[in-house]
Amino acid sequence: MTRRDRALSLLSPLALLLVWELAVASTWLNRIFYPPPSEVLVTLVELAMSGQLVRDAGISLLRVTVGFVLGAVPAIVVGILMGIAAPVRAAVRPLAAAIYPIPKIALLPLIIVSLGIGETSKIVTIAVSVFFLVVLNVAASVLQVDPRMFDVARSFGARARELFWTVALPGSMPGIMASIKLGVGYALTLIVGIEFVGANDGIGRLIWQSYEVYAIDRMVAALIVVALIGWLATVLLDEVEYLLVPWQATSVRIRETRMQHYARTWWRAMRPWSYTAAIIPVLLGSSIAAVAGTVDGWLLFLTLIGSVAIQGGTNLINDYYDYQKGTDRPGSIGTGDAILQGALTPRQVFAGGLVAFALGAVIGLYLVSVSGPLILWIGIASLAVGFFYTAGPFALAYHGLGELAVFIFMGPVIVAGSYYVQRQDAPLGVVLAALPVGFLVAAILHANNLRDLDGDRRSGKRTLATILGRAGARTELYVLLIGAYVVLSALVVAGITPWPTLLGLVTLPVAVRLMRIAAAESEPARLQPIVPLAAQLHLQTGVLMIVGWLVALALPRT
Amino acid sequence: MRAGTISVTDLHVTFRSRQGLVAALAGLTLDITAGELACIVGPSGCGKTTLLRVLAGLQPADAGHAWIQPADAARPTAGMVFQNGGVFPWYTVAENVGYGLRMRGIAPAQRAPIVRRWLAEIGLERFADAYPAQLSGGMLQRVGLARAFAYDPAVLLMDEPFAALDAQNRLLLQQTLLRQWEGDGRTVLFVTHGIDEALALGDRVYVMSARPGRIIATIDVPFQRPRDAAALRSDPRFGTLYGEIWSVLRDEVARARDAERDEADI
Repeated sequence: MTRRDRALSLLSPLALLLVWELAVASTWLNRIFYPPPSEVLVTLVELAMSGQLVRDAGISLLRVTVGFVLGAVPAIVVGILMGIAAPVRAAVRPLAAAIYPIPKIALLPLIIVSLGIGETSKIVTIAVSVFFLVVLNVAASVLQVDPRMFDVARSFGARARELFWTVALPGSMPGIMASIKLGVGYALTLIVGIEFVGANDGIGRLIWQSYEVYAIDRMVAALIVVALIGWLATVLLDEVEYLLVPWQATSVRIRETRMQHYARTWWRAMRPWSYTAAIIPVLLGSSIAAVAGTVDGWLLFLTLIGSVAIQGGTNLINDYYDYQKGTDRPGSIGTGDAILQGALTPRQVFAGGLVAFALGAVIGLYLVSVSGPLILWIGIASLAVGFFYTAGPFALAYHGLGELAVFIFMGPVIVAGSYYVQRQDAPLGVVLAALPVGFLVAAILHANNLRDLDGDRRSGKRTLATILGRAGARTELYVLLIGAYVVLSALVVAGITPWPTLLGLVTLPVAVRLMRIAAAESEPARLQPIVPLAAQLHLQTGVLMIVGWLVALALPRT
Repeated sequence: MRAGTISVTDLHVTFRSRQGLVAALAGLTLDITAGELACIVGPSGCGKTTLLRVLAGLQPADAGHAWIQPADAARPTAGMVFQNGGVFPWYTVAENVGYGLRMRGIAPAQRAPIVRRWLAEIGLERFADAYPAQLSGGMLQRVGLARAFAYDPAVLLMDEPFAALDAQNRLLLQQTLLRQWEGDGRTVLFVTHGIDEALALGDRVYVMSARPGRIIATIDVPFQRPRDAAALRSDPRFGTLYGEIWSVLRDEVARARDAERDEADI
């Protein structure tokens, strides 16, 4: 896929959702028949919170699992026997072939007649359907094993038992696995149909019930859950396939557990130690909201996840474009770049960034629905800045605007946004109270740029540090650090923030240490400590300010 | 009789096909001394593979008999190298190389050093844990070769093992085979349709007729050992022998073609 095609395949579903949303908003589509995505999302969350969704999905999953196991296990055994023993094949095939084409849902009434309408009939229907589907496919896959492989084994003296274990079984394993996948998909389709007809619970019942009362939003929410279960089943089966059929070209990778390897690689690629920059301002904004009234824990949790998702996505997208533009090179200091270490392909990193952005967007949309439109603008702006930080012809970070973007977005914007989620309001005082955090987060980035000054200059990356030169860049660092403490004090003096926030001044010695190193050194390796020091400064000062606000919460109001 | 001596007398093998019975081998007689590297050339479809399958015990004979003098009970009589390697896709390279040993009932701990040695011999140590799907055709053929050598049979039956390879890889593998064989001196029966390959490798070249297959000529190859399969081709005797074999083979190839055409007409 070209870059354009990739963008199109990502944008088209998003565009459809957007058009849908707008069409309903403009009353061009009837809200009752076509609930907008945002409403569906709210319904989905409500259903999940009430526990109904988990209960219904759980009972459906139980029926599918039990029915599937009861059908698939004997089917695999009989199927293998059919494959290797002609008499078994001759005896079973006509029967199986005759029953196979019957749509198994048509057997449900017959099974209900003999077994009643309880759980047994549902499970048996699934088991019977899965059995006939899987048994024929397994038999076929055993017969399809390359006959030359049997000759090879025989030429090395393999006897019947060894032929089964070293050729027939492993040779038919890919086909067996494919049959299992087919069976699971079939069972999932069936359970919904079965629950439409005769069930008091389950995800199929939820869909049908929603139809009966015309709750289309609930219906769509339930459909999303069905899709999600199907997707999870696929992921799980891929994992099983990897364990059972490791030689398949699609699954040939490193032999250790792929899940762990992936989780670790992604965890590193998303640079989790940078998340404090996304978490501190959310906690600060929420603390200020707590002083002004109450805080909803669920919303706070969502705000945190959304903020971290956008930060993580930005990290990945940045890595991708830094790699594309060639600023990160093997050997450059302090890069957390999974691409350079060969752990992930550039494409994977880019896709991961978009997934993280999508998660942030989904959470953002929900927050818009419960708080208000400001979050929409903040969200769109955050995603845009995160993306164009290193992407596009006018990459912010390459034009000396990195510090400014980080200052605004990782400072006042998140703090005010988090406040707004809780209080549906964003007074100027909150924005001002966020300034010290903004200065300090910009200082982390600038410390980074100061360290990489010479390298960035060589690769043509225009940061504020390369523009200002070494002396100017040092001054900028001093301004950011000292500015944080000056503003912090001034806010208290002006009566905008409560006096306990002065706790943040405790970190002043760390700032002094940082400035001393920056003044004395110019070699990247020797400047390296200023980056973790700046991060530490931001974290500690931020936490202390939050503590200050929470202390103010306990103080008698004046 | 020494272990590894091959004795085939008046062998008949007939297949059933849609056109009725087809005689693959009719009265084939062949005697190979133990320790000889014997090459069989013949037109395609002449029953070369059938002969090997009979000797490997994969195909029963209808009449006559084929015999390999076995070694002691612990050592297998015959091992085979298949066209395209015949490597099991579901086993790793190391598991494939160790397969014959496993079938001989040798414990994993004893197999490991032997497998390692043969992997080193074919230069695939780094691919020990790779699956065949990750390997090139030439590498797969090397795995098939190592598997047969590690099995350590008295006779090695090789069925056009290098036919599917490009010229350079074929030459390299021919040299590998010669190096191994010149070291251990086991009997090798090497089937090929390449006259030059037969001359480069063999002590003796047996020419087979078109179907039904018989041995119609035996040519002694005079080149001394150890041989360099690449340098040999510039020897003037090489051309003479090539022409000699081709003059016998040419008529058989033409006959095989006529037979194919006749079958197509039916």
